Amino acid sequence: MLKKIFPSLGVVLVVVAMFLGLPSIYSNQSFLFNLMLYLALAEGLNIIYGFTGYLPFGYVGFFGAGAYGSAIAVTLLHISPLWGVLWGGVAAVLIGIILIPLLRLSGAYFAIANLAASQALYYVVSNPALEKITQGPYGIDLSSVYNANAAYYALLGVLVFAMVLVAFIRNSDFGLCLLAIKEDRVTASLAGVNIVRARSIAWMLSAFVAGLCGAVFGWYSAVFYPSTVFSLDVSVFTIVFVLFGGIGTLAGPLAGALILYSMYNFIGISTPQYFQLFYGLLIIALVLFLPDGIASILRKGKVYVP
Amino acid sequence: MNRLKTLIVVMTAAVLATSLPAFAGKAPKVITVGTLYSSSGPFATSSTSQFNGLKFWVSQVNKDGGVFVKAFNKKIPVKLTAYDDQSQTATAGMLYNQLITRDHVNMLVSDFGSVLTSVAVPIAKVHKVLLFDPTGTAAKFFTPDNQFVVLCSLPTSGKWPYALADFVIEKKIPRVAIVYSSNDFNQSQAVTLHDRLVKAGINPVYYEAVPTGTSNYSVLLHSIAATKPDAVIEFGFVPNDIAFLQGLQSSGLKFKMVFTIFSGQQLALIKKNVGDKALAYTYTYPTPPILKYNDVNYGPTLDKFEQAYKATGGKVDFLVVAGYNTGLIMQKALESAGSFDQTALRKAVADFSGKLKTMDGAFDVDASGAQVGEMLPVGQFVPQGANGVGMNIVYPQSLKTGDAIYPAP
Repeated sequence: MLKKIFPSLGVVLVVVAMFLGLPSIYSNQSFLFNLMLYLALAEGLNIIYGFTGYLPFGYVGFFGAGAYGSAIAVTLLHISPLWGVLWGGVAAVLIGIILIPLLRLSGAYFAIANLAASQALYYVVSNPALEKITQGPYGIDLSSVYNANAAYYALLGVLVFAMVLVAFIRNSDFGLCLLAIKEDRVTASLAGVNIVRARSIAWMLSAFVAGLCGAVFGWYSAVFYPSTVFSLDVSVFTIVFVLFGGIGTLAGPLAGALILYSMYNFIGISTPQYFQLFYGLLIIALVLFLPDGIASILRKGKVYVP
Repeated sequence: MNRLKTLIVVMTAAVLATSLPAFAGKAPKVITVGTLYSSSGPFATSSTSQFNGLKFWVSQVNKDGGVFVKAFNKKIPVKLTAYDDQSQTATAGMLYNQLITRDHVNMLVSDFGSVLTSVAVPIAKVHKVLLFDPTGTAAKFFTPDNQFVVLCSLPTSGKWPYALADFVIEKKIPRVAIVYSSNDFNQSQAVTLHDRLVKAGINPVYYEAVPTGTSNYSVLLHSIAATKPDAVIEFGFVPNDIAFLQGLQSSGLKFKMVFTIFSGQQLALIKKNVGDKALAYTYTYPTPPILKYNDVNYGPTLDKFEQAYKATGGKVDFLVVAGYNTGLIMQKALESAGSFDQTALRKAVADFSGKLKTMDGAFDVDASGAQVGEMLPVGQFVPQGANGVGMNIVYPQSLKTGDAIYPAP
């Protein structure tokens, strides 16, 4: 057991040290913030997709729910933005509970239904009739509580939480139950796994992480619109990062987000005209030659991937 | 004697120090202007036009040896550093930070519109960098506690329909229908118009929001027609205006007055999609190049600008003018600021605010940086035989070039 926990602990410590130290040598805090954001989202998605096999294309719905849940708590209930982050996570869990019946679907059906649910949520939030609560489509203004540094460290806290959660699931009996569900639900059920309970818990944990991320993103952005926090790009990027790194591990999604998001920004800044082409080719190559992500290369070499 | 010499030296130095322009440090070899543009995504068309206008300003000042910087008492060439945000706010936020913290640009210009400007406002404020905002018109960006944003080329969106409301009131149009796309930009205009009309005793017979993504107005138009309005005012973005005018044409419905926003700003694009016939007798906010201001006291006149820009092979639309105009505002700030720092630039902007008239109109910002000088008149498209449609400015009186044809034939 300890043999498995130490590498995971090492990964967590390296990531924490990295994001504590990097601001002093690299001044673009927004880049580091967005990088952390996608690392945390990748780990959040990993909980539901990596361990149970459910691929939520509408994962951004939880992210948006978190951003709005937190913003509403801050603007209407006048709580501090730090507590607001927690409210964001809770708001996403509530949406997750409402969407639990979707877990009865599988494969592409689940992915599409989930995508539709996130879009429905987007339209509800941006409905002008809800202007007094969500500001409708007119955008949320959190500039009175804007604090980029505090939001940065709050996100680091969320990232640590997400990593510890994944490390725990990976090395626990609960994680084994989830993996059994992923392999074969009927067999898992016959072996005594409470499928409904286990996958629902994973679903809500995954939603909670995305909600926390959305809440901190809203705080860091100060002014945001429904189209910003319900943008499908968030889902697409997160899924690609997780797939690139390798699902079901702690380090895989981290590596995927770290490499691809850095590359995305490097190409986006240096040669934006080639960005779409390069990224497209990369994804095709990934699907053809590395369907299990870069973690699979290490696994083939009998290296343990935390 | 020595004391007297020392006194003379000190006094001479003091006099020289006050008579020479103050400056912070050594003059840079280039003035770097940082901005973002969108080559793809929903804002690509508008953003590209605005960016082209800014690029053209850079090329023009460099052709002239650079921009005069009062703080160093000399002309310095301008370098444009621009990144592609692909219409994504998260990417835009990261890139604005890149411009400020990594590239250390001297002047910061935001991308087109409120959505892509929204992320720049808090970043600029935190880093105490003055943000020159060409077209991000949301009122929430301009607060008394933020001295680091200046709206350059348009008034805040809530102020846009002032002349339109006055026109409707003056014409005594009793039954007005207002349909608007549900977003910050359009809603603020709808609210202003609605409130002004109600105050004047005109209660709109129809006042509804539709999703910004609405692409078919057929059913909606019949619902509006059922309320028997004289004037139908549609506030939307370019795709909404196109869909609305197309729907109006295909439905065969006629109203005495029809208003859309963007036919006055993106005429070529809207004409291409709906044709001259659908535009005939409709109203809009005319902006340069349709609207010409004659009392320009800074920068080129519109005619000269059009001539120079067309020589490069480009086509002038309002956003090209808006991008170029932002360059002019920066140029004036550099020419006026006593020292080369962001606070001095902001103070310079406040000092020349209200005195500057460019081809985009009067430049006048309030204490929060919101544009209050520029105003959007009301124009009407009138058929011009084989030439398609032309534009008459019908309100206000000071800009009027023709009488409104009301009701529309």
